[in-house]
Amino acid sequence: MAKWRWLAQVTDQDQLLRLGILEKVPLFAGLSSRHLGKLLVKFFEKEYGPGETIFTEGEPGKALFVVLAGSVSICRALNEGEELLAQLSAGGYFGELALIDDQPRFASARSTEPARLLILYRSDFEDLMEGQRVLAIQVMGNLLKTLAGYVRRSQSQTNGRNSTIVAKPPPEPLE
Amino acid sequence: MPPPSILWALAIAVVALLVYVSQDFVLLLLLSATVAYLINPIVKVAESAMIKRKVAVTAIYLGIGVAFLVTAYFVLPHLRAEVNTLSGNLPFFSQRFDEAIDAIENEIVASYPVAEGLFSTREVRYEKLNSFIEQQVADIPLLLSHLATIALAAVLIPFFSYFFLRDSRRITKFVLDRLPPGHIETTVAVWCEIDRTVGRYLRGLAIEGIVVGVLAAFGLAILGVNYPILLGVVTGCANIVPYLGPIIGGTAAVLVALVQFKSLSVIAQVVILYLSLKLLDLIVIQPLAVGKGNDLHPVLLIASVIVGGHAWGIVGMVIAVPMITILQRIATLLFERRRYSTQVLDSHPKSGVQSHPYVC
Repeated sequence: MAKWRWLAQVTDQDQLLRLGILEKVPLFAGLSSRHLGKLLVKFFEKEYGPGETIFTEGEPGKALFVVLAGSVSICRALNEGEELLAQLSAGGYFGELALIDDQPRFASARSTEPARLLILYRSDFEDLMEGQRVLAIQVMGNLLKTLAGYVRRSQSQTNGRNSTIVAKPPPEPLE
Repeated sequence: MPPPSILWALAIAVVALLVYVSQDFVLLLLLSATVAYLINPIVKVAESAMIKRKVAVTAIYLGIGVAFLVTAYFVLPHLRAEVNTLSGNLPFFSQRFDEAIDAIENEIVASYPVAEGLFSTREVRYEKLNSFIEQQVADIPLLLSHLATIALAAVLIPFFSYFFLRDSRRITKFVLDRLPPGHIETTVAVWCEIDRTVGRYLRGLAIEGIVVGVLAAFGLAILGVNYPILLGVVTGCANIVPYLGPIIGGTAAVLVALVQFKSLSVIAQVVILYLSLKLLDLIVIQPLAVGKGNDLHPVLLIASVIVGGHAWGIVGMVIAVPMITILQRIATLLFERRRYSTQVLDSHPKSGVQSHPYVC
């Protein structure tokens, strides 16, 4: 055991905790620890107080957010009040469309209690994808599965078969 | 409480004043940041393997120190020998240079007798050369005072860059945690663009300088020109100055070849060597080392180099290009944000009571 003690001393425990959260994020399902480590160093971290707006509907999207701790609500403004679309806790993610294009945000995000978030800027993500084919295929596959889920649920809602959808099911990892 | 725009303007004015008052210190910080940028990719590799940043940075500094000592052990004796020979020959330099010019003149006149009237007399040339050398000798005390500054910088730059590297993540988090949440995405975008642009430019410049310097040293050694290692170092270092650098390195090599061989053909060979190096640099080395170039107009690039040179000399010339690229990227991002907030929001419908699947 003593011969591994030095390894524990040089290992960054905070990064390990973040890695543990990233492993649970459906968007990164199926990635190896090595790839997750490479992804992790691209993230920024920020703390939000309760009720703080993370981004507002209509703003240009530039980054993906992963919830490290606390909880975040995703809402969309209506003529009267707003509609709650999702409530996310540790391991949840939002703003994923910003990884694809810079179109305006479809909904707003707000912390409902003190929250710690990881932020990944699109260009940093693209840089990583350029050199990492396996990582690119895996993440893009997961992203496509998520989007396919949105399209199906949207169609079933239009057909009146579904009334409310508030949570994202995790996509299956690619074979 | 005054409006935020006035507070921002005041803050920028205070920072600008501090920069103006302590230019040397700011320059030292910029150079330290440059060193940190060069080393940062290795730190990130270690960090992605879950190694503590502090441990990784310390280990990398130790590794660089050892590599530096090993290189110095093998290269320094040769370099010192070349410098000693050069300084020993300096007193005879004006005489040899004069002889070399005479030989070249005779060579040209022998082939083209019409050119005889174009050259100034030996006395006029000798007077000009002596006054030039006297001016350089008069500048030696100033140069020595700069040497003390350079020695201090050699100690302080690794010291500052170590702490920049070790604490960069903590500093970034500290700043992000204190920024208003509404500005986070733009701030992260600006920071990442700066990081990417500057990092890519500086790392590319360093690789480019080393490759060009080594190739120049080999080329000059093959041509039999004296002091190839010293000239390679000068060429590599000069190469980091955009546009002017290759001319400075080439001129030094031509001068040495002129005094040594007193022959037009060898000078032509040295000029061809430097032109080939520049071509190779543009076609192969730069695209590989720097990657996708910046999108700045060449006129803006040259203007920034001139302004940078005027403000901070050679260092100003080197940092001018990344600085102007950063300003361009920041302006693009801020204009983009403004455009969206004024145009896209208006066209974004908020009507309808039907629930949508959440996607944002």
